[in-house]
This record gives sequence, structure tokens and C-alpha cells, in this order.
Amino acid sequence: MFEPLQNSTLNYILVVGALIVSVVVLIALHSSPPYVRRWVIAGVTFLVGLYVPLEFYIPRHNFLTVWRDPLSDLVRVLAGFTIGLGIVNLVIVHGRHILQRTANFPFSLAFFVGFISMAFVGFLHHYKPDLWAQKPGEGELAFWSAAYKVFFEGLLLPLTSTVFSLLAFFIVSAAYRAFRIRTLEAGLLMAAAIIVMLANVPVGTWLTSWLPQDSWLKWFRLENAALWLTTQINAPAMRGILFGAAVGGLGAALRILLSLERSFSFGGQ
Amino acid sequence: MEHADWGTIYPYLVWTLVAIIGLGIALASAGKRLHIRRLPAIDAIEEAVGRATEMGRPMMFVPGLAGVDVPTFQAIAIAGHVARLAARYRSRIIMPVTDTVILTMAEQVLREAYAEGGAPDAFNPEDIRFLSGDQFAFASGVVGLMNRERVAANFFFGSFAAESLILAETGQALGAIQIAGTPSTLQIPFFIAACDFTVIGEEYYAVTAYLTREPILLGSVWGQDVCRILLASLIFATTVAQKFLPPFVLKFLGL
Repeated sequence: MFEPLQNSTLNYILVVGALIVSVVVLIALHSSPPYVRRWVIAGVTFLVGLYVPLEFYIPRHNFLTVWRDPLSDLVRVLAGFTIGLGIVNLVIVHGRHILQRTANFPFSLAFFVGFISMAFVGFLHHYKPDLWAQKPGEGELAFWSAAYKVFFEGLLLPLTSTVFSLLAFFIVSAAYRAFRIRTLEAGLLMAAAIIVMLANVPVGTWLTSWLPQDSWLKWFRLENAALWLTTQINAPAMRGILFGAAVGGLGAALRILLSLERSFSFGGQ
Repeated sequence: MEHADWGTIYPYLVWTLVAIIGLGIALASAGKRLHIRRLPAIDAIEEAVGRATEMGRPMMFVPGLAGVDVPTFQAIAIAGHVARLAARYRSRIIMPVTDTVILTMAEQVLREAYAEGGAPDAFNPEDIRFLSGDQFAFASGVVGLMNRERVAANFFFGSFAAESLILAETGQALGAIQIAGTPSTLQIPFFIAACDFTVIGEEYYAVTAYLTREPILLGSVWGQDVCRILLASLIFATTVAQKFLPPFVLKFLGL
């Protein structure tokens, strides 16, 4: 719908104008009484919330479709503004820990070291990868690109993989608690788990491989029993929960659209 | 698919469901008394807040990993109710978030909830913390916070992925009372195994109605239940009648 402007001066004027309008709107919202703010927020929520389903349900390319890309750009711009707030939040919380020398201040120091060095290396990698360094040879990485690779692939990725791998140990401890047979349900869970786990290892299938495949006894072969459990018991139960949640989501979306959820009637205080 | 295909049943079905939920809201607004069954997990929220207050330790509310979507909106609404209870006892809630848009929303909702609860000064904006946008960096940040702050109660509401068990097991090891609710079907078993109380599936979207008992919210829950009965009947009827239906009807039903 909107074409990029070729005239850079006009472009700058429009950007500055948009910023001024945004600031004026924000000031007006902040200085208006709570009930006005509430009505403005409810109105905007309703209109924007109504736009998406209407655009989708009116067949083919319609009069609302032209606004789809500008609206998604607007959402991205709004989200972009809040990234700054996230950084401010981190800096305030960790800065206070360091200034007040709380018991946890080493963690905050680690945050600042990580944050500043990653941002510094990231910017140089993107804009000036060979600043204060020799020009890279054929097939070589520039100094700051190599440094970025070390920070990202050598440090961040192994750290996140380490946290992910903790999951294996947590699954064992959670499974231990879940499988303690104290009720009929826990007993059934344990039996189902044994069948499915055994069916997924070679020794499990070997255990019942002597049962003939061409008679009713085939249902007692572990791989068949496990397949039956996962496709006939587990999958329908999961789908049932998903169905319920999907309808619940529809209801919740309607409540948000109509500003019926009290927690979203911002502007009360 | 760019737009809805009106040659199938789906758009009609969605608008029928919306109309039924709307009818529920209208009936409740007109004064019809509606009943909602007991949800023990939600009854336990007050107990968890009370316990944390007695122990003099903070609570933690994790609104999931997702950005701006319906489950997260619902999680923030639930956080508002928990904060209102916490304000009554002047207890502290720590809320780590993974999305900066949610950070601003959560701060506003909790600030207003503490004010409504009569303790605006008990709200500390620094307790709403943006940790990281990365899944496992966020998980490790939450685990660190739980251990350092020695939280007495954990609330996990929202969309979760693989980090759900890391968070819930850490809370379990700390001895915190834990209440979880998620529409993410793959994470439900993890929460059931590691938490004291779990709300699943559609119960997740009924929490605010259950907590506030507001007629309009109860009406939407009633409407949703009617929709589920309708959908289940439709599935059953079409499964049974599949052999006898003419091809154009089958095509319309997407079968």
C-alpha cells in the first residue's frame, strides 16, 4: 500500500512528524482521566482485533487486505520500541545490585561483561569486521567476525545446550515420582510406560518376537501394543485436550476483544 | 491459505461457535445464573499465596515463553488476580518474562492489581524482570532467580516448551508449592509430574471466570462448554454417517 519515498528530505520530515505525533498522543493519554484512557484502549483493541478476522473471512483480496502489511509493520515497530525497555530493565536491576554490592552482585557483573562484550563484538562484526586488525586473507574470517563466532558458537550455543541437556536428568527425577505406584492411575501409567519404552528398544521387540504375527496373539507383541497405545489411547486424548483448549482460546480471544477481562482494562489507577 | 474458504464448513463453524459464546455472555448479562465446576488447582492459589506469606518468602509467576498471544494474555490476567491476593498480604511476586512487550503489559497489570489490592507501595517494578529472549537462557535465568530468592510458591501459566520441566523440577527441589496451567499439550504431562496442581486444556481459559465469578466471564465459559458438546456431537454424527452422506456434503465437511 505504501511505497518508499525517493525524496530523503521528505522522508526525514515524515519520520520526525511521526515521532512528534506519537509523543503528543502519549502525553495526551497520560494526562487524560482513567475512564477516557480505558475507553481509548478498549476501542483500539476492539477495532484492531476485529480487523484480523474480518480481513480473513471476507473472501479473496478485499478492501481490508491493503492494510495488512502496514499493520504488521506497525506491530513490529511497536515491539521494537519495547526492546529498549527490556534493556533498561536489565540495566536498572543489575546496576542496582552492583552499586549496592548485594550478595548477588557477581552475577550482575557477569551480565554487564557478557552484555557489553557481545554487543561490542556484534556491532563490529556487522559494521567494521576488520577494525584495528589486518585485512583477512583469502577464505579467512575478519578478526571481529572470528571473535563473534567464538562468542556465539563457542560460548552461547554450548551454554544453552548445557541447560537443555539438564532436561534428561529432570525427566528421570520427574518420571521417578510419576511412576510410584500408589493409585490405580499411577499403576496404569507405569504399565503403559513400560510397554512403550520397551517397544522402542531392540531388546523389547525381541522379547515378544516369538508371538505369531498372523493370529490374534499379535496384539501382545510389544511393538503392536505400543502402537495401539500411542495411536488409539494417547493421540485421541491429546486431541480431545487440544479441542477443548482451542474452543477455550476462541472464548478468551472474544473476551479480550470485547475488553471483558478485568485485568486488561488498563488505566484504572 | 490467504483467506477463508467458504466452500467448506470451517468458516461457518467458527462463526457459529463465536455466536454461541456471545449468546452465553448475553444470557449471563441478562441475569441467568450459571454454575462452574470446582477447579482444585485454582482453589490452591490462595493457599499458595498464604503459605508464601507465612514463610516470608516471595512467589514467582512465569507467564510462559510466547509473545503476544491469547494464552499469554490469559496468563497475565491470572497474574493480575494472584497479585491482588498477594497485595492483600503485602507479599512479593517476582515475574520473569521473555518478551519485552509482555514486560510492559505485566508491569502495568501488576501495578494496578497491587493498587486495587490496597498495597500500591508493596509493588516493586524491579520484580518484573526481562531475562532473555532465548529459551534456555531464560530457563537458566529463572532457575537462578528461584534459587537465589528461595521462592515459596511458583505459578507457571502460559505457553511452555522444553524448559517447562527444568523450571518445575527446580521448584520441586526447592520445596515450593507449584501450580501450573498450560494449553501446550506436550508440556501437560511434565507439569502433572512435577507440580502440586495443574490445570489442563480448556480449564486454563476458565481460570479468570472461576476466580472472579463475574457473570459475563461465566457466560463465556458456559458458551464454550456448549460449543464443545456441539463439536463432539458433530464429530460423532459425521463419523457414523460418513458412509451414507452424498459426496458434495462430504466435500463441504472436508472429509
